[in-house]
Amino acid sequence: MTRRDLIRTGLLALILAPFASLFRRRGETGTGYFWQIDPDKCIQCGKCETDCILPQSAVKCVHQYASCGYCLFCSGYYQDRRVEFNTAGENMRCPTDAIVRTYVEDPYFEYKIDEEKCIGCGKCVKGCLAFGNGSLFLQVRRDLCRNCNECRIAKACPANAFVRVPAEKPYIYRKPPEVKS
Amino acid sequence: MTRLPLIFAAQARFPAPEFESYTLPPMSLEELAADNVLWRVLVLCVFLVAGAVCFYKWRSRRAMLAYSLAGLAVFGFLFASCPCPVGMFQNIAEGIAKGSYIPPGVLLLFAIPLAASLFVGRVFCGGACPLGAIQELLHWRSVFVPRPLDRVLRLIPALLLLIFLVCAIYGVGFPLCYYEPYLPIFLLDFATPFAILSAVFLLVGLFVSRPFCRYVCPYGVLLRFFSLFSLLKPRITAHDCVNCRLCEQGCPNGAVLPPENAGNASQRRAGSRRISMLVACIPFALAAGGLFGYLGAPVLSSFHRDVRLVRELDAGVRSEAVEAFETTTTTREELRARAVKIRNGILVASTVAGALFGALVMAELIAEARRRKEEEIYTIDASLCFCCGRCYAACPLERKEKHHEK
Repeated sequence: MTRRDLIRTGLLALILAPFASLFRRRGETGTGYFWQIDPDKCIQCGKCETDCILPQSAVKCVHQYASCGYCLFCSGYYQDRRVEFNTAGENMRCPTDAIVRTYVEDPYFEYKIDEEKCIGCGKCVKGCLAFGNGSLFLQVRRDLCRNCNECRIAKACPANAFVRVPAEKPYIYRKPPEVKS
Repeated sequence: MTRLPLIFAAQARFPAPEFESYTLPPMSLEELAADNVLWRVLVLCVFLVAGAVCFYKWRSRRAMLAYSLAGLAVFGFLFASCPCPVGMFQNIAEGIAKGSYIPPGVLLLFAIPLAASLFVGRVFCGGACPLGAIQELLHWRSVFVPRPLDRVLRLIPALLLLIFLVCAIYGVGFPLCYYEPYLPIFLLDFATPFAILSAVFLLVGLFVSRPFCRYVCPYGVLLRFFSLFSLLKPRITAHDCVNCRLCEQGCPNGAVLPPENAGNASQRRAGSRRISMLVACIPFALAAGGLFGYLGAPVLSSFHRDVRLVRELDAGVRSEAVEAFETTTTTREELRARAVKIRNGILVASTVAGALFGALVMAELIAEARRRKEEEIYTIDASLCFCCGRCYAACPLERKEKHHEK
């Protein structure tokens, strides 16, 4: 019985050994369990829309209002080859009409993402980056994501933009400028 | 190619306007907090205790079926399987290799079933594991795998464990989770190509009991090893066994072992001769395994992101990954150096893993050649028992005892 006790203690120690890592630094990007997109690495390839295991991707567009220019002619909102500046389908960037434009003050307009409609294709992100401030970017919504251990989008991402984040800091904002809370 | 400078230049393109009566809408992201893995750990603990009670105290097949059903509903469909303890060894290996912080939820999910197996055997496999539960419930008629074939196939999980460890340590990815055959079912997503894999496993599982658990699951290797030292072990009716063989026929997993006699002197001599021959073969097995690992290493490293990227760059392919790489500040030389390091690392690790596998095959052969402890009645191999309770249901004495209790 003593031999068995010895074996059992040894095996328990084997199980407990990885717990030593709890004493390491925590709270940094790349050290958590949850998947997130680093917006500075993202190249808007469109794989977020197609490669998620969910029928509708857990990746959606986020609008960082603090860095938005509230442009009259938003390049995330309108197509490059638009016919006219109106909301006819052929002029719009978003394939699902998920960007809601409301008048604020002359000449400023607010652009809001309708999350029900957003499919995470990243077309508006690309448009905003090309001519605007880059205030639109893609993020994995924590409430929708199933936290697959091996994220299918991360595997398919050509830019290696998917990183692991800790639960305390589950979103990555575009760095400049800082978000005011 | 000029994207990065553009982003920084872009900040000044349209300065944020100063509004008179408009305030910026708040970012609604933070409210959508990440769900914590820790409460899954709590549910897992409850399940393991309940499973142990059903299996060791009540000794009831029906209770174990209910346990599997509950496990499938909660861990399979409610939690959508991920993260589950089966794949966590990869996260642990990656965390240790990178020297990074491993979240406590991941650690606990990995360690709790193993710790439990030191006390109650493989109760986790019985139903708290959603993969085990779905196989348990979707099993119709048992086709018995012939013993020699079973022994050979049983080596696959150990091989996969070694391969997946190498993959996790060198950042190739988590192939086990990527190809997990039951995930499309738990997500109710049958439109992916991965659903073919689940269909195959489900079909085989209808006739062969627990094909994934027995012949694929790498976590099962650890559980198998740990449950050898389990405090509680499953037993056929403690007394009055009449050696009717019904339990052996009732177990589709080959965990019930027939009585073993001591054998005569010449048999024992032949056995020890066989063992000494096998021991003499160990160096060759190590060398063969090492060679196998060495030759397989390029295949493994070709799945690594950086190695693949270097190959595409050299071949002049204009893939999305190449275009994305060109927007970063990393130079080709840095990337190449990284890829070479990874390739060399995998080469060494794969060779070692191959040799380890060779040693494991020999250990298995020697264990097979050895005579078991003398046993007059039918016994259960705790390391192979998935705690399904079929033997309890098959045993006529067990039924009689239960009847008397009532």
